[in-house]
Amino acid sequence: MVININARKRLVFVFFLLAAGLTTVILRLAWLQFVRGAELQEKALNNRLNVMPVAAQRGVIYDRNRHELAISIASDYIGAFPQEIKDSGRAEEIAATIGSILDIPAKDVLEKITRNTGFEFIERQVEFEKAQKIKNLKLPGIEVVPENRRYYPNGPLAAQVLGFAGVDNQGLEGIEAMYDKQLSGEPGKIVIEFDALGHEIPRATHRYIPPQNGNSIVLTIDQTIQYIAERELEKIVNSPTDPLKANIIIMDSKTGEILAMASRPAFDPNNFGKYPSSVWGNPLVRDVYEPGSCFKIITTAAALEEGIVSPNDSFYCPGYIKVGPDTINCWVSPMSHGSETFAEAVKNSCNPVFAKVALKLEEEKPGKFYDYIKAFGFGHPTGIDLTGEGTGLLIPEQQLKPINIATIGIGQGIAVTPLQLVTAVSAVANGGRLMRPHLVKEVLDEDGNVIKKIKPTEIRQVISPATAQKVAELLENVVSKGTGRNAYIPGYRVGGKTGTAQKAGPGGYMDGKYVASFVGFAPVNNPRIVCLVTIDEPKGYPYYGGTLAAPVFKRVVSDVLHYLKVPVQYDENKKDEQPPKPVTVPEVVGRELSSAKAEIEKLGLKVRFEGQGDKVIAQIPKSGAVVPAGTKIILYLQSNPNKPRVPDVSGLRVTEAAQVLEAYGLTLEPQGTGQAAEQNPVPGTIVSPGNKVRIKFYETAREVLGP
Amino acid sequence: MRRRAGTLDFWIVLSTSVLLGMGIIMVFSASALTSSYNLGDAFFYLKRQLIWAFLGLIGMSFMLKFDYHYLKRLAAPVLGISIILLLLVLIIGISSHGSARWLGVGSLSFQPSEVIKLAMVIFLAASLADNRHRLKNFIQGLGPYLALMVVVCALILAQPDLGTSVAVAGTTYLMLTVAGADRRHLFMLALAGVGAVVLAIILAPYRMARFTAFLDPWAYAQGYGYQTIQSLLAIGSGGLFGTGLGQGRQKLYYVPEKHTDFIFAILSEELGFIGAALVVIFFLVLVWRGFNTAFKAPDTFGSFLAAGLTIMLAIQALINMGVVTGMLPVTGITLPLVSYGGSSLIFSLVGIGILLNISRYAGS
Repeated sequence: MVININARKRLVFVFFLLAAGLTTVILRLAWLQFVRGAELQEKALNNRLNVMPVAAQRGVIYDRNRHELAISIASDYIGAFPQEIKDSGRAEEIAATIGSILDIPAKDVLEKITRNTGFEFIERQVEFEKAQKIKNLKLPGIEVVPENRRYYPNGPLAAQVLGFAGVDNQGLEGIEAMYDKQLSGEPGKIVIEFDALGHEIPRATHRYIPPQNGNSIVLTIDQTIQYIAERELEKIVNSPTDPLKANIIIMDSKTGEILAMASRPAFDPNNFGKYPSSVWGNPLVRDVYEPGSCFKIITTAAALEEGIVSPNDSFYCPGYIKVGPDTINCWVSPMSHGSETFAEAVKNSCNPVFAKVALKLEEEKPGKFYDYIKAFGFGHPTGIDLTGEGTGLLIPEQQLKPINIATIGIGQGIAVTPLQLVTAVSAVANGGRLMRPHLVKEVLDEDGNVIKKIKPTEIRQVISPATAQKVAELLENVVSKGTGRNAYIPGYRVGGKTGTAQKAGPGGYMDGKYVASFVGFAPVNNPRIVCLVTIDEPKGYPYYGGTLAAPVFKRVVSDVLHYLKVPVQYDENKKDEQPPKPVTVPEVVGRELSSAKAEIEKLGLKVRFEGQGDKVIAQIPKSGAVVPAGTKIILYLQSNPNKPRVPDVSGLRVTEAAQVLEAYGLTLEPQGTGQAAEQNPVPGTIVSPGNKVRIKFYETAREVLGP
Repeated sequence: MRRRAGTLDFWIVLSTSVLLGMGIIMVFSASALTSSYNLGDAFFYLKRQLIWAFLGLIGMSFMLKFDYHYLKRLAAPVLGISIILLLLVLIIGISSHGSARWLGVGSLSFQPSEVIKLAMVIFLAASLADNRHRLKNFIQGLGPYLALMVVVCALILAQPDLGTSVAVAGTTYLMLTVAGADRRHLFMLALAGVGAVVLAIILAPYRMARFTAFLDPWAYAQGYGYQTIQSLLAIGSGGLFGTGLGQGRQKLYYVPEKHTDFIFAILSEELGFIGAALVVIFFLVLVWRGFNTAFKAPDTFGSFLAAGLTIMLAIQALINMGVVTGMLPVTGITLPLVSYGGSSLIFSLVGIGILLNISRYAGS
């Protein structure tokens, strides 16, 4: 004890300093091992684990009748454990072997298998034989692991609805993307614990977590109806019309179920990478366009519901309407529709009347027109179960000017998606009840049990059933007597509306660029389906919805109704339009009038007499021709062969007219071709045998139908 | 003031034995799998560690019988030789991990920096025992020691070996504190020391990078933060009882220097908090008994020598455990008595032999 007090104090001080340091270490250990222990342990484990993914089997996408639209087929991937390869010292040789089997450059393979990672994919979705070959070589550090590849058995059919899934089993577009969680399932994995150099740790964690396979989806789409729609689109895009795009959508009006959704241009989801990404999306839910006259259905419904107009109200169409400083022309301009009832205006698709009705509605009940537009679902996504749905474009209500009201009344100055329009028209067909459109009917588990059923959802009652009924009748007139005549389907009551909208471009409407469309439903008395056909930028003339889209609609809807076994029914007033029985026309030339008439009528044909007398000297059509029952047979009569009267041959073709005149002993002097129109001498003139009759023939003027 | 040598300090013998034993077991556990894989001999490091321990124990036995008073006379020559060795290592040293720290051939190589630690402590104790009265004078008293420290540290730093350098500087500083240097001087020196460390970090880019990684190791997980992170993962995996001896995973190439500088991390993983805390506690016992020896030493030289040896041991342990637990930036320094390493183990045991020798003369 030689050191002094001060030195002792210093010793004690330094001791406590060092002791404090060591105590800190203990505290730090406690912090790391207790407070952060679990977290660090987890991190340490993850750090050491190498995971080989095992893909889950992606669920099937079925159509409503359980036909497979998208399936997963077994395939393999080639994976590599770089460390094992490095240990084997055969990296170059392995790269060369695999490269030659898979037909990829050996140096690319080498680069992958020499990376400083735990696991690498060399190639995904390898063909069975190639994978088998590699498997048989038993190369060190090379694994062949099963995975799944998506296959779309129908190729491009319903491609924009289905979308597609990428190599990692992830839905990228369409239903595949929207229902990815359901379809993809949970991938499993093989977990192996590795040391830092990539050696498997003996007796270490080595687990197999099996994948959880995905659920299957049953769509509302009907493969056959989809096919019908696509067939018609294919026809139209391969015709001289050659539009930029064309779409068809068919909806079950009672449930909102989409039965078909087809677009051109399309793509093959099996090879989606070979198509521009612009065609991957679904234009029916994504793209907007100005609906044109098809939108008059909405105007009609709103005006009728609010009592602004009734079908028999009289209007006058001067061929245009002035709204403030602006003028809206009728589509028949420079002609006009003149006096017409509202019902006729619908039939004629008369622009000034609809503009007037829209303005009147706005004037008497401000804001109501827009309320209906919104109630019908415009300006909102419909809520369909697809990603990337468009909302459409409505002019903000506070910026609305009378001219806007007038143009929206005829379907310009508003942009809608095809889906919005078909959903809105569906509400009219469905007694005013707006249904939420949907594409998925059921979700099935791995074993095919239904785990979820999507029921039809009514969004709201937009118009009363009585108004809906009135609108439907007006639309039926459009098809039976008006601009939609080309959509008429014998045996079914069809209601619909044509549309020919000018396309808006930068700085206004573009000359010569139209969207021809037709939307309609059938049967009118108990609607089953609503169908919209849009043809975007058809080439040449005519570009009208009534001439381009209505015939497509007719073919599609006719086939679909027959396919759905919707009973054929005939309008009481139109018995003559029953599908007529074929009848062979008998030979009655030279017979007495009464016996000829009796024989013809017995066969179910009708008779029209031409000329005077009791003896038949000519008949049109000739004997042996097969005609539908109810066809009128024209019998030409004569009393005195020496003093023939010039017969009325108007409407006959040149050869028919020649035969008839010859029977009378007269000679034809034709002018022009087509159907007989003007005769000289006029019918009924008594002439001498052998006289010439001059007849002018005309080609029937092409019937041009309005927008 | 000579007395007859008495008995050894039981606690020092006990804690040294425990730490040495745990060290040998852990060196085997940490290295067996990898040395079996890399060198084809699971016992490679164990065998060598046993040899070093044996040699160290011989050295210790010799020192505990060798009257420490003779060391006072040997102090200056030993220091001189050590400094020459330090110079030699800079010229003809054997490189490993980017540092030239070894002298000699193959397994006969040793680290002069381990020698200088001991030589420095002996010299300081001897010199301070005679000159402590002049210590209050900054220039004449403190100055020469600081000059010596700077020279020695600079030589070690040149290897480069920041860890040992800091340990030597810290030990010198604390010995000067014990010897009675002026508090204001000590305070200024502390500031200067911090400044020097900062300068050392700034001047060497690899130290700067390590320091940045120390502040946020997870951001540099694959770079300079790798060692710290793997070490923390090992410690965290241990929990209370550890994964069990030999059951640790992080030693499988994850933790670098697993049987040397980072042996404490593997120990924490396999033996858990209980085992790790036990190691720290035995170091505490060593420090306590070391200072107790200093307290009761028969003369000033013995007192300073005991304090110096204890301080050197404690500072190395603190730096090592501070690094392993992520509280200090990574510097290569072993955990005395526990880590694998020939020179370190031998000279640690020799130091403890001296400490035990002093304890034999300590009064009650």
